[in-house]
Amino acid sequence: MADDEDGKEYRWETGYEKTWEAIKEDDGGLLEASVAEEVAAQRAKQRRLLAQRQHELWGGVRLGMMRHLYVIVDFSDAMADQDLKPTRYLCTMKLLEHFIEEFFDQNPISQMGIIITRNKRAEKICELSGNPRKHIKAREISGHVVQQLAKQAWNGGGEPSLQNALELAHSFLKLLPPHASREVLVLMGSLTTCDPGDINTTIESLRKVGIRSSVIGLAAEVHVCKRLARVTGGDFSVALDDTHFRELLLQQVLPPPAATTTSSGVAPPTTVDASLVKMGFPQHHVSGHLDAKDDSEDTIAARNSSGGYFCPQCCSKYCELPVECRACGLALVSAPHLARSYHHLFPVAPFTELPFSKDLGAVSCHACLYHFKNTDKMCYRCETCHQIFCLECDLFIHDVMHVCPGCSSNQRTYGIAGSGSGEIGTSTPSSFGPLGASLASVNYFGGWCSFIYLI
Amino acid sequence: MAESSKTVPSGLQVKKLQCKNLHDYLKTLPPGVLDKLYNHPAACLAVYRELPEIARHYVIRILFVEQPVPQAVVASWVTQTYSKEHLGVVQILSELRVWQEAAIPGGLPGWILNPVFKKNTKIALLGGGKPWSRWGPKRPEADAKAKDIPYLDAYAAERWECVLHYMVMGSHGGPSSGGGLPQGGISADAVRILLHAGLMKRDDEEGVICITREGFQFLLMDTPSQVWHFMLQYLGAAEARGQDLVECLTFLLQLSFSTLGKDYSTEGMSEGLLVFLQHLREFGLVYQRKNTELAQRLALNIASSGGNLVKSHTFGTKDEAQLGYIVVETNYRVYAYTNSNLQVALVGLFCEMMYRFPNLAVGVLTRESVRQALRSGISANQIIGFLEQHAHPQLHRNAPPLLPPTVVDQIRLWELERDRFRFEEGVLYSQFLSVADFETLRDHARDLGVLVWQSTPKRTVVVTKAGHEEVRRFWKRHSKGGAVGGSGVGSGSNSGMIGVVNL
Amino acid sequence: MGDEIESSLLVIVIDTNPSQRIVREGSQILTQCLDSVIAFANSHLMMKCSNKLAIIACHNHASKFLYPPSSDDEIGEDGDVRNAQQIDGQYEVFTHVERTVRRNIQRLIAFGDQELPDIHENRITGAVNSLGGDSLLAGALAMALCYIHRIEKDIPPSTKVNSRILVVTASGDSASQYMNYMNVFFTAQKRNIVIDVCSLDQEPGLLQQGCDITGGLYLRIPQIQGLLQYLLWVFLSDPPIRKKLVLPPPVKVDYRAACFCHRELIDIGYVCSVCLSIFCKFSPICTTCHTVFKTPAPLPLKVKKKRIKLS
Repeated sequence: MADDEDGKEYRWETGYEKTWEAIKEDDGGLLEASVAEEVAAQRAKQRRLLAQRQHELWGGVRLGMMRHLYVIVDFSDAMADQDLKPTRYLCTMKLLEHFIEEFFDQNPISQMGIIITRNKRAEKICELSGNPRKHIKAREISGHVVQQLAKQAWNGGGEPSLQNALELAHSFLKLLPPHASREVLVLMGSLTTCDPGDINTTIESLRKVGIRSSVIGLAAEVHVCKRLARVTGGDFSVALDDTHFRELLLQQVLPPPAATTTSSGVAPPTTVDASLVKMGFPQHHVSGHLDAKDDSEDTIAARNSSGGYFCPQCCSKYCELPVECRACGLALVSAPHLARSYHHLFPVAPFTELPFSKDLGAVSCHACLYHFKNTDKMCYRCETCHQIFCLECDLFIHDVMHVCPGCSSNQRTYGIAGSGSGEIGTSTPSSFGPLGASLASVNYFGGWCSFIYLI
Repeated sequence: MAESSKTVPSGLQVKKLQCKNLHDYLKTLPPGVLDKLYNHPAACLAVYRELPEIARHYVIRILFVEQPVPQAVVASWVTQTYSKEHLGVVQILSELRVWQEAAIPGGLPGWILNPVFKKNTKIALLGGGKPWSRWGPKRPEADAKAKDIPYLDAYAAERWECVLHYMVMGSHGGPSSGGGLPQGGISADAVRILLHAGLMKRDDEEGVICITREGFQFLLMDTPSQVWHFMLQYLGAAEARGQDLVECLTFLLQLSFSTLGKDYSTEGMSEGLLVFLQHLREFGLVYQRKNTELAQRLALNIASSGGNLVKSHTFGTKDEAQLGYIVVETNYRVYAYTNSNLQVALVGLFCEMMYRFPNLAVGVLTRESVRQALRSGISANQIIGFLEQHAHPQLHRNAPPLLPPTVVDQIRLWELERDRFRFEEGVLYSQFLSVADFETLRDHARDLGVLVWQSTPKRTVVVTKAGHEEVRRFWKRHSKGGAVGGSGVGSGSNSGMIGVVNL
Repeated sequence: MGDEIESSLLVIVIDTNPSQRIVREGSQILTQCLDSVIAFANSHLMMKCSNKLAIIACHNHASKFLYPPSSDDEIGEDGDVRNAQQIDGQYEVFTHVERTVRRNIQRLIAFGDQELPDIHENRITGAVNSLGGDSLLAGALAMALCYIHRIEKDIPPSTKVNSRILVVTASGDSASQYMNYMNVFFTAQKRNIVIDVCSLDQEPGLLQQGCDITGGLYLRIPQIQGLLQYLLWVFLSDPPIRKKLVLPPPVKVDYRAACFCHRELIDIGYVCSVCLSIFCKFSPICTTCHTVFKTPAPLPLKVKKKRIKLS
């Protein structure tokens, strides 16, 4: 084919990506080995990322749990480019939808807003709010609008204005109380920006207020963006392809370290203060009579239609939680919403990777009874309960479940969540090791837990 | 185009192969037989698993209840929206005699489980009673003699293919034709069953046995259904052969619950059962080995047991064993990646084969080849179903749709092309002496509603066979009552077939 | 061949902790419950031939799989269905289940502390069976989830598996496992795994929350003798069928939180933004994470304009 002559070609010139060529057959004509290799390589990478993150967390770093995030999306001409298939804009929209869902799943008491920039202006599409459904609808509307614009020529896109967008975000975020973790995520597809003034002053003002800005570039590394991220304590990365883009987005879902210490050494003058946030815990009330129909319907739907939650301060009714009461401004949550965020604070200790051998005393994974075969080279051991786990269980435990089955079934270790999480809030990182957690932390955890739940 | 067929005029539609499932079959058995059947836990278990889901819940709920349960209570177990389903389930359970009506003291009608069914289901579930076979499994002795699962799978596939191959080739096939048939034809018993089932017929002039339309349809079904249908036909003829139906059916059901690859001994089996066993061995359902001791060992090969019961049992193993091998392209070419003669022959039933390579056979779906298949009684849906079943995994990756829609639609159109005639029997009246007579007769027939066709320029009328008597009487009266002409009505009343063109 | 095979995986978690009240009161209660559970498990397998089963026993020192037999056991002996001998009219798969479960539970109860792994020297030894303590159901649920995760990953392409967990327990609530329970419940909710709870004696509030979060059924059995019948009536149906049958209504769960200082349910509370602990009134230091809170600065006094006396 003609385009194979020149070995190096630009990405937008490629027609189809021949991904099937990545898989090779081995001597016997079987594909299994190479597919298994790829899968194993991916898993290993996942573990590495996980381990890295765990390591960061255990420096005793405090996390910003109540996050207020503005996502700034670039809607300029550059987003019509086709190096992310089908176009950068469509790819971004799809991934954003997934990102929003994951974000609210991991941070139920946080809020998110969306700002777009095009035609040298910035517009707010969606305000800060905690209800994910509203976001997705708003985005659909804006997507609809932009799609209509895209049908005409793309001059509708115009040039982005980074400074305007940042100023807009800044104006909203600076009004928030200091205990909130304030963040901005910029998805930048263009290499240029058209600003009314000096962007460095904007960056400086962001830093003063403590707004942590991260940037994900879709085109190339831009100095200004990198500086923005570095100064404010955020992350800067450039997406290589859509899989990588997705990974970078999902990394932003996890709560960032609160800006007490920054790796760059440029400490913002005001830190994220801890404060006591007033919150309401409304009870669910069912209105007077239930229709006969409700008995047979799904319980949750029936409940929602006939009852609701009443704000304890002003008695206005809402059908879903979490929500911010419009009348009195009180945040209404229920205990499980807070519980969803606990695993960030008490992660499971990373398992040590060991080469599998018979004298470890176990032939199968403790959690799932997976029988170790000759092709499995590594197994994973929890240092607290000394049980052996397979790779799949290791990833599942650390990514999704956040509970070690061995530790939580053992009378001595179940109260110590990932022993070695140390004490939260101390400035010196505490050392961690098996069963080496100090008595204070055991008592702390046990005592704390006994009160947090309902009767 | 007019197609005349040689078959019976009554109803020229193609007879579709009726495949019954277990319930339909059991419903045809007389009640005494059914009760005898329920004496064995395996039969109860098999029937239980075939029930619809709600029925299963009903049965398990009243399994441990001694008294009859009021019908109103049973009706209240389902929510209002599904009450129609409840009625259907009640009917099925009654037909199968799983439960029967009983009166509760107090006068309300109630249901109680058939005591034999209840007892044996409890035995199957909880224990007690006799072991299912007096032939328990033997301890595994020399492992060298034991056969492993891939071997058993291959054996089963090969045996069943022999049967199918015989069907395709007919008796003038035989061991010499078509390489790849390792064990020659099949036994006379099997041929008898095929004849009895109507899948093959004996052509009296030449003395050869060849396949019928139903046989073609049978070939295109998937293997579990094929085996099940075959076994049902076999059981249908069992009485005639002197075998005990209940015994054989029980043994078959018991077989379906056995574990693949496990040995069972054959001690103590009755004569009839041993004969049955031989037949099963021939079809590849069991694998039997004699050894030097008196007791014989049986290794059960469930992989090729058909029937709805074991369909799900065997699904796991079958997946690996029978991957699809057919690729259909939008230019109507069909590529079959196989070197089995049987599979190539099956594809050749409706495709025109062009090339044959060691691992590939290439054919083309032409109008002629498809019409020929349609003529032999295969329906378009069967062809399409066969192609979908055996579709290559490559095609699955582009799913849906599996096959190119153009090809699918075209096959259906070719079938519709043959459907342009509607056949009705009738009686033809022609050669009227005068137009007035013709019109009188025609109007009368029309009033009676038996007029099928009439042609004014030719002065012919066709009425249905049923109406013919009535019209004849009318005509006699009419012609007696004062027709001027002496000779009366003309001669023409021919009965016969008339084809009316569907436009 | 084109339709999907739907099968159902049921994982039963039995609480065999000897320190439960009803176990202490009567020694044959546990045997009775075990018999009922085995019969129930076999009924589940009887429903469809593609149904799968796993049973986990939650003892006070460890949780172990009773069925399927783990590879640690001898596969060569009775560990395989192939070698199970039929001694009565029971279907051989059911016999295999029963035998495996009984054998494993005997081992679990008899050989107490020998089950603990013996690797690290710092491990505290001692007679474990005498340990009291709550039933560590959260750990058993975590094991069940890992098992379900593996089975769901390994199914052949055209099958679909509906998984659910049934917990049979007589224990009450155990506050110290709150975190573990919550993590397990959220994981189950995300994976569409339904958790049903059959409570024999007390009213475990946390498990009720779990049923509510995952959409499962909670039932408290008034009498132990009818355990099998209750199980068959209420818990045997798969979640897709449950909408067709009339089943007990869900129990209402109170999701309010209790404050840390007084253990009372509160409507409005103060939440520490660092460690998310809840207090009923404002205090300058968080007692759990020792963070110092900024007290809200008093409003600046408006300088009152003094009236200048006109004089």
